[in-house]
Amino acid sequence: MVTCGIDVGSLSAEAVIFVDSELKAYSLIRTGPDSAETATEALEEALRGTDVRREDIEYTVATGYGRVIVPFADRNITEIACHAKGAHYFFPSVRTILDMGGQDCKAIRCDGTGKVTKFLMNDKCAAGTGRAMEVMAGLLQVPLEEIGPRSLEFQGEPVKISNICVVFAKSEVLSLMREGVPQSEILAGLCEGVADRVRGLILRVGLENDFAISGGISKNVGVVKRLEQKLGVKALIAFEPQIVGAVGAALFAKELLHKKRGEPNPRS
Amino acid sequence: MITAGIDIGHKSVSALILDEDRIITHAALVFSGGVEDAAKIAFDRVLEQSGLKRSEIDRVFATGVGREKVTFADGHPTQMLSHVKAAHRLFPGARTVIDMGAEGSRILRCDAEGNLAEFVMNDKCASGAGVFLETVAGMMRMPISEIGPLSLNSSNQVTLTTTCAVFAESEIVAEIHRGSPKADILWAVHDAIAAKVVSASKRIKVEPEIVFTGGVARNRGVAEALKKHLGFPIRIPENPDIVGAMGAAILARNAA
Repeated sequence: MVTCGIDVGSLSAEAVIFVDSELKAYSLIRTGPDSAETATEALEEALRGTDVRREDIEYTVATGYGRVIVPFADRNITEIACHAKGAHYFFPSVRTILDMGGQDCKAIRCDGTGKVTKFLMNDKCAAGTGRAMEVMAGLLQVPLEEIGPRSLEFQGEPVKISNICVVFAKSEVLSLMREGVPQSEILAGLCEGVADRVRGLILRVGLENDFAISGGISKNVGVVKRLEQKLGVKALIAFEPQIVGAVGAALFAKELLHKKRGEPNPRS
Repeated sequence: MITAGIDIGHKSVSALILDEDRIITHAALVFSGGVEDAAKIAFDRVLEQSGLKRSEIDRVFATGVGREKVTFADGHPTQMLSHVKAAHRLFPGARTVIDMGAEGSRILRCDAEGNLAEFVMNDKCASGAGVFLETVAGMMRMPISEIGPLSLNSSNQVTLTTTCAVFAESEIVAEIHRGSPKADILWAVHDAIAAKVVSASKRIKVEPEIVFTGGVARNRGVAEALKKHLGFPIRIPENPDIVGAMGAAILARNAA
């Protein structure tokens, strides 16, 4: 049985191929202006180098911001449900998931089967999202992936970035740079700000162990470390945290295909 | 009595000299650096323009952000008090004042005598602030003064789905790439800003007449969008960016 999950996000898109219960292949690409093209590209990228052909795929579920315009999907399912399912696949003990995406941030609670019981989401404001990190990376001229490690070079209480709004925080960061505050300290202040902001979201949804983080920002060790300190828990992070939603989608595809065939759903 | 008012904004400072109810002269300038220096420069500018000496000014009041740093001022009223006072003087029917500056907006309500009754402010989010318009003008490669008039030619083909200024930037880029007319994109921006400001005003009852002040009030597009969202005509002073300074000067005179 070959199923596919596609997650078209605001900044990145992922495709995941499952053969029976095995995660066979995945891809991670940057979202282009056309969601349908992006989805096709992600799928082809995932299939590259495998013995799976496109026509072998029996069921595809799309998720994410651009899910409704994936032309080859059989169904689309919200990213909330897919992230919970995907996180549960990687870590069956997970009960609280923080997904930090390019343009939104979600705190999700799930039960022992990976089914969503409660969630909260911020998609109204760029603060604490991947977009905000990109803006700051550009402003400070630091590669995105180095923000975390460099922020940890600073020891102690970093300067507080008092503005939540990214536009205002940009001016604040510029004046800190002019004042000669070390770059590592500014980065630490930014990571601290993001951690503070998502901490509020997690506490409002209620933190139950185990706790997992998915999405692009979970690759930022500066944010993760600070958040772990604030919450007093260790975060579980998949080997590729950006494919968690797509994995969930592929698992939904598997269930739906069983159902379509009138087979019982083999819950593993 | 001759009084002066100085209004410190996030990006600009304005000063004004008042002889009873008559504005003798006024000046507005963009500044960077210290508040006190900027206030001094603006004050010297209006003194020079008026030909008056410092000793001929009976009282100077400073208002706005960082007003307390203007140590040479005799009083430091809040920008809320100053805006309401001057808006009411310019338009005696004023009951609501919408003040939109570079880094925030305020909605103020006053009674028939021009006393501040209540207010809401937003200085936490750029979506209702002038800096957002500057960014948009930059993206369109247009002078900021032209985006308002052009937006009035919109055929309403574009809507922004987000209020966040950062997210809106990506939407605007997508619209530019799609080839949407500039007028339509700009109207969508002005509409979104007005919607944001109006939604903040839900907590207080907006009553006519409505006076629109602050630098953003120079933008006809935002004024038109506010009118659409509020359902009332919007009155705009001839020089909306000196209203705060005028209010401070009036308060300086009344302080006797």
